[in-house]
Order: sequence, then structure tokens, then C-alpha cells
Amino acid sequence: MWKTILRRFLIMIPEVIVLSILVFLLAKAMPGDPFTGSINPKADPAQIHHLMKINGLYDPWYQQYWNWVVHLFHGNLGNSYQYQEPVTRLIGGRAANTLWLALFTMILTYAFALPMGVYAGRHEGKLPDTIIRVYTYVTYCIPFFVILVIGIWIFGYVLGWFPTTGSISSDATGWLHTFGSRFYHILLPGLLGALFGTVNIVQYLRSEVIDSKHSDYVRTARSKGVPSKDIYRHHIFRNSLLPIAAFAGYSITGLLNGSIFTETVFSYPGMGLLFVNSISYRDYTVITALVLIYGILNLIGTLLSDIILSIVDPRIRIQ
Amino acid sequence: MDKKKLALSAMAVLATVSLAACSSKSSSSSKSGTSGASVQLKAAYKNTKATDKTATKNSTLKLAEPNDSPFQGIADPVLSTNAEDADVFSPGGDQPGSINGLFHTDKNFKIIKGGLANQTINRKAKTVTITLRKDAKWSNGSAVTAKDIEYPYEVIANKKTTSQQYSADYNAIKGMAAYHTGSAKTISGITFPDGQKGRTAVIHLTKVTPAMKYVGNSFIWSSVEPYEYIKNVPIAKLASSTQVRKNPLFTGPYKLDKVVEGESTTWSPNKYYYGKTPQVKHISINVVSSNNIDKAIQSNKYDFTVPNSVMHGTDYKQLKSVKNYKIVGQPALSYDYFGFNVGHYDTKTQKNVMDKNSKMANKSLRQAMMYALNLDAISKKFGNGVTWRANTLIPPIFGKYWDSSSKGYPLNIKKANKLLTDAGYKKRDGSKWRTDPNGKKLTIYFGAMTGTSAQAAEYQDYLQQWHKVGLNVKFTGGKTMEMNSFYSTLQAPKQSKIDVYAAAWGLSSEPTPTQIYGEDAVYNMGHFVSKKNTQLMANMNNSKSWNDAYRAKAFKQWQKYMNEQAAVAPGSFSYNWGPVNKRVKGFDMGAANNNFWTNLSLTSSSMK
Repeated sequence: MWKTILRRFLIMIPEVIVLSILVFLLAKAMPGDPFTGSINPKADPAQIHHLMKINGLYDPWYQQYWNWVVHLFHGNLGNSYQYQEPVTRLIGGRAANTLWLALFTMILTYAFALPMGVYAGRHEGKLPDTIIRVYTYVTYCIPFFVILVIGIWIFGYVLGWFPTTGSISSDATGWLHTFGSRFYHILLPGLLGALFGTVNIVQYLRSEVIDSKHSDYVRTARSKGVPSKDIYRHHIFRNSLLPIAAFAGYSITGLLNGSIFTETVFSYPGMGLLFVNSISYRDYTVITALVLIYGILNLIGTLLSDIILSIVDPRIRIQ
Repeated sequence: MDKKKLALSAMAVLATVSLAACSSKSSSSSKSGTSGASVQLKAAYKNTKATDKTATKNSTLKLAEPNDSPFQGIADPVLSTNAEDADVFSPGGDQPGSINGLFHTDKNFKIIKGGLANQTINRKAKTVTITLRKDAKWSNGSAVTAKDIEYPYEVIANKKTTSQQYSADYNAIKGMAAYHTGSAKTISGITFPDGQKGRTAVIHLTKVTPAMKYVGNSFIWSSVEPYEYIKNVPIAKLASSTQVRKNPLFTGPYKLDKVVEGESTTWSPNKYYYGKTPQVKHISINVVSSNNIDKAIQSNKYDFTVPNSVMHGTDYKQLKSVKNYKIVGQPALSYDYFGFNVGHYDTKTQKNVMDKNSKMANKSLRQAMMYALNLDAISKKFGNGVTWRANTLIPPIFGKYWDSSSKGYPLNIKKANKLLTDAGYKKRDGSKWRTDPNGKKLTIYFGAMTGTSAQAAEYQDYLQQWHKVGLNVKFTGGKTMEMNSFYSTLQAPKQSKIDVYAAAWGLSSEPTPTQIYGEDAVYNMGHFVSKKNTQLMANMNNSKSWNDAYRAKAFKQWQKYMNEQAAVAPGSFSYNWGPVNKRVKGFDMGAANNNFWTNLSLTSSSMK
């Protein structure tokens, strides 16, 4: 298995190179440049040209690409044109925020969805199942940003239970206070994200549970007299997790994607908004860095999913 | 009122405008009055209640900065390029838009005595002398020196700078060009009669102009840099340094306690401030999503939004009658306009050239297109009173220069038709479209930037109105354009994709328009040039215009001429407005209030 993993890693290298060239070319193909947005009556075009020049933006693409690769191997992803600070520092700060929120949301989502899915499957066709199904479909139907706006309005502004902006309160000092304040700030967006993001897991799990319920090994276990609680815990649950494990790898690497909606509504500085803004501002250095990171994460995600699957299901072994 | 440079980059303005457009604009009764808006807003909130001294001493003044993305975090006005940074760091200056500002101003942005420094212009010697007050100090206690007046020029003009502020106008300072190209190590034209540590800097120029009497002009930089504090940071790395981002120094009434990157800033009184002691104990400024700023205000979360930050017209509708708040506002330092493509930019001579044969070269055609538009109705329909049809190319915030008597282009279909027919644009062979005077088919392409759905509706209305007078106007490329491709297209030296376009300009507090409409201006994207126009703009800063009355007249003559030519025609003006909680006392966002922050006090400890 280690061999396989190593091989997969080696294949990733050419993939990443191709990806980076594509990203680089596509970014440059967009109309405009990092300074298009700064035209105003007092910004002299000559100075803008000067800035373009010293930033190497007039060089041919392969030269720009080469410079970028050379810098990359020195751990330097360049400076953001929009934020005027090193890309690594910029992304670092945002990634930490996003990771916090996404991890919390993911844990909550699984904590809500797994029991619901199993319960619905176990009581197929009965009232609890109907309630859970209706709940997941309703939450699935409402656009997430509507949920966020309503959520922040009711719980943030009207009831005042939760903070409404940012990732930390401005007067937080000391380790404990900082941690607490950060947690308090992700509580509402995390809860909303989890409560309204259960549909996939619940539905997959439910149908798997229903399938397993009627499979031979369950019937065998039942006829042997194994208590139904144990059947669910040891036989059905584990087998039903297979499809969920299949995308668990992606959801781990997806932790860094960020959500534009959550970040906008809660003024939460994260990766999602950074990505979107960098595209509209033509902040090339940030765009290429982010796409590359996402690309690599996706490749790792595929690998992780395979590994997780092989752990959950001993029948599957990567060869 | 941004006194530094332009707080509003074009992009910020576009955002404002595109967002404000979903809402604002108003008034058909644009006679004169303060602005022509249907709503009359005042820059000051006169709270008659008595100050609650204990509440003022112990409370935090909570400000919101409505914005949809995190701020960049560059506290230095020399380096920052956007309005948000200027907003969240504004308590570091005497008044919003004046971080580490040198000068105080009157309501016309004219420099007056009494600020961090005074300025004297010597017309004979062609020098500008800036003298710091004796007690001018940075928030760390060290003195503000003459070198601190000079250092911004070094940062702006340095070869490796990340600042976008350098412009050809700075070449009027002796030795500046040499420093900019790197052939000189210092700027020879800035001298220190009593040494670098002294209080006086003298700027030697090749010419002095009346524009220099106003803050925000493009010759004299109007803020200081803490040279001693940042001298060891290479200029190329200044924008990312902790001295500028995490622990910046200020000369204003408040000092920065903490900045949470992209989210918030907190402030407490700067005990080294030369002026009146600030009354309120703390200030906090938080970025609040513009999606829910109205909810935030309705639930009494903030005292006010940072003056001149972007508030949408739809929010005005929501907030105008909220119980605990008073709406304040003043005309914005920006305007929407229609531009017509009448020429090209000659890259060899670096001058704009009019093409007599261009599609839009006919003045009657341009005027007719403007008369065909129903901008008043659009304001009424989508407006909430905070945006209205513009009558000239100088916004009413410049009270002295704005031509209030100008009518602009109100709807007049009859006149539009007559103008077109008289000029030879006739419908031939029963066609529904007019042809050009030579009988050839005429299709006019309208370039517009993608914005809100309300803005899309406005564009559709423009097209309909033009169709009404028989002009076949279509969107360039069949639809609205993304901002970057819009400007890439327009800024090409020669282009024929866009014949008429809608855009916006944000202005500095000194409104000389040569940088956008001059013969050699790259930003003159419609390429309208005439001898008379060049002459009229030159009049604004000739030797006679040291006389204020003459200068005002020169501005008005120019507005009249531009309106008549209709190569660039006024679209809309809008208010910079915001809600102020009724516990706040002493609020006045006008340019003449040079003690904005120190005048503030509270009448209660609660916002409810």
C-alpha cells in the first residue's frame, strides 16, 4: 500500500505542473490586469506602467512563469497586488480562519447527520423517518445565503446571542479569551452550516442502512439471535459508511475552500472571498497560488478517500 | 470628503455606483438649492441634549464600515489605494479622510491655518513653505519633523515603490524627476532651512498654481510619514511591514490599540495629540457586510457608519425612519457620466486626437442622445432620494465651483428628434431607424459595466429611450461588460467597439479636471479635445485664478462649455450619507469641521 501511495504522489507531480501552466495562462488571458481597477484622475498612467514593468507584467508568459517557478522553490509566492503583502502571509491568515470554521462545521455536520441517517434508515417509512426526510429536503431547498441572512438577523441582531461580524472580538487578549472569542464567533455560522448541510450524508446513509437491513448477513445475524442494537452497531453501521467514506477525503481537503456566502454575511475573512476577489481584481499572484493549492488538495483528497475506503472496507485494497 | 488623494479609486466608485444605483437617484426639481436632490440631508447632526460626561468618558464609540470584503490593512495614506483602509484608520487623523494630515481646511477644501502645519505659497520665488506647529508629535511621543514632511515624496517617487501616487505633476518639484528615475539619491528641490529635525520644509517648484491652495491637489502631498520610525524598512517592503500594518503611528487625536486583520480596528486617545483632548474613551470600527448593515443599525449596534463609507440607496429606504438614528449626508466627491468616443489617443505624440469622421463626432447627435434619456424618471424609479440627475461635470460638494444654474440634459424627446433631423440623421425608406447624414446605416454601440439588476434595468431604459428617437443603439457585444474588459476596451489607444459609455469618476478634493479631460490625459477615454477646452481648463490655474472669484468663474465657464459640447455628459450625483445614533453629539462630516473626532461626545451610555 505504501508503494501505491508513493506512486500516486509521483503521478501528482506532472499533474501539478500541467495544472500550474494552465492556471497561469488562463489567469493572464483574462482582460485587464492588477492595475485596471485603480484608474482614477490622479493615478498617473505612467506610474501604472512603471509598476507593471517592475512587476514584470509586460514580460512574455513563459518568462513570467519561469520567474514564478523559481520563486516558488524559494518558498516565495510573490506579493499580492491588491493587498500589497506576501501571498504566503495573506493566505496563511485566511486559511487559519477558514480551517477553524470549516472543521467545526464538518464535525457538527457529521454529529447531526450520522445519527439522523441511521435512525431514519432503521425506522424506514415510519414517522421519524418522514420527519427526517422532510427536514433534509426542506433545508436542502432553501438557498444557504437566505439562511445566513435570516440567521444573523434573528440570532445576531434581534436576540443578540451571537457576534455578527468578524472572526474574533477586537478586545480579546490572552490565550483563553482569544480561543473563546474565536469559538464564539464561529458558533453561529458553524451551527447554521451544519444544520442546513446534512442532506447528502443523511440520504446516503439512510438508503445504505435500508439496503443492509435486507442483506443476507443481517438476516443471518438476526436468525442467530444477535440483539438488534448490536446488529445495527456492528454490522449495518460500518457497512453503510462506505459511500460516506468515499467522499470523506474530499471533505477533509475541502476544509480550505471557504464559503463566499458565510464570509460575506458574517464579514469573516476567509479563503472563499479571497479567491473571488483576487479574480475580480486580477490579483495574479493570489489566483495562481490559490488554484495551485486547491489543485494539490484535490489530488490529495482523492488519495485520502481511497485510503479511508481501504481502512473501512477490508475487501478493498489499493494495489 | 477625502482630503488625501482620492480615497475613491475608480473601482471603489464603480462599486458604489453600481450598488447605489439599485436605489438611488431622484428629483425632477433640480433647480438650485443645495444639490437638486429630493431629500435634503445635512452634514451635521445637531444634538441638543446635554453631554453625559460619565458615559462619554467610559464608553466605546462603535463605528461600522459597510463593506463586503475584508479591508487591506495599510494604514499609510501614501501607500493605500482604497477607501476602506482610509476609513478604518480614520481616527488617526483630525477628521475622516485625513490620516496624518498636514492641513486644516475650510468648507471648500481650501487650506487654512491651525492644523499640524501651515503652508505659505511664495509666487515670486515659486516655493511652498510648510511649517509644523511646535507641539506636533507622533503617537509614540516623538516630534514630527521637517523630514517627515519630505519623506512621503521619497516613498511616492522611489523607483521601487508600490505606491501608485506618482504623477507627472510632481515633476514640477525641482529634482523630483531625477529622484524618480533613480539618477539622484535625494530630492534636491525640498530643503530644510532649520535642518531635517527642524519644523520647516521648503518645496522649490518650477511653477506654482492656485490649485496648491487646496488640499488634495496633485503637487503638494498633504500628509506626513514617521521617517525615524520607518527609515530602516526598504520602501519596496513598506506596505507589508508591521510599522504600517500592525503598529502604525498617527498624528491624530486617537492612537491605534489593535487591528484585527481585515476585520476591525480599536482606538484610544493619543495623549501626544496637539489639539483638543478627545472626549470619548474608545473607538472601535468593524467591517459589517453591506448585506446586513441596515439590520445592524436597526438593532442599535453602531453609533454611525464611517463618514463617506459606501451606503446603498436601498439602505436609505430602510433606515430613513429608524427611531434612534438621524440620517446625515453631503454630496459625494464623485459623479456618473456618459462618455462619447470621438477620437483616439496618438501614442507617438502622447496626445488625444479628435476624429472628424468618427461616428459620434456630430455634436447634435450627442446632444440628442442626452436629451432622449429620462434620467429624472430613472432617479425617481430606482432612487430613494440619495442620487439625482447631474447637471454638470463638477459635483455640488464644490459649492463655489459647481454651476448650480446649469440645466444639464433633462428629458426632451421633441428636441432630440429635431436635433437629429436637422443634422441629417433621417429615417429613410420607411425604416424605423435613422441613418447617418450620408444615408448609411447607423448602429451605435453602448458600453456599460455589469452591475446590479436595477442597474441593468436602467441600461435597458437608456436603450429604449434611444430607440424612441430612432437611434439603433445596442450593447457592445450584446450585453453588459465585466469591469476589467470594459476599461481594457476603453483604454485602448484606438477602439471602435464602444461609441457611448456609462462610467463614473471619483474626485480629489481639488477638482481641476485636466487629468481626465486634458489633451494629453490617458484617462480622456472619449478623446474629446478642442483648443477652447484646453484654454478653459488652463484658465482654472492661470495667474489670474489666484483670485477666487475668477477661478470659480473659470470652472463655471468650463462646465457650460462641456455641457454644450456633450462629448462627456453628466449622468448623476449622489449623497454620501450615513445614519448617526441619537446619543452622539457634535457630529459634523463637513470639510470645515477639522476637529471631527474631538468634537464627538455622548449623551447616553446606551444606544437605545
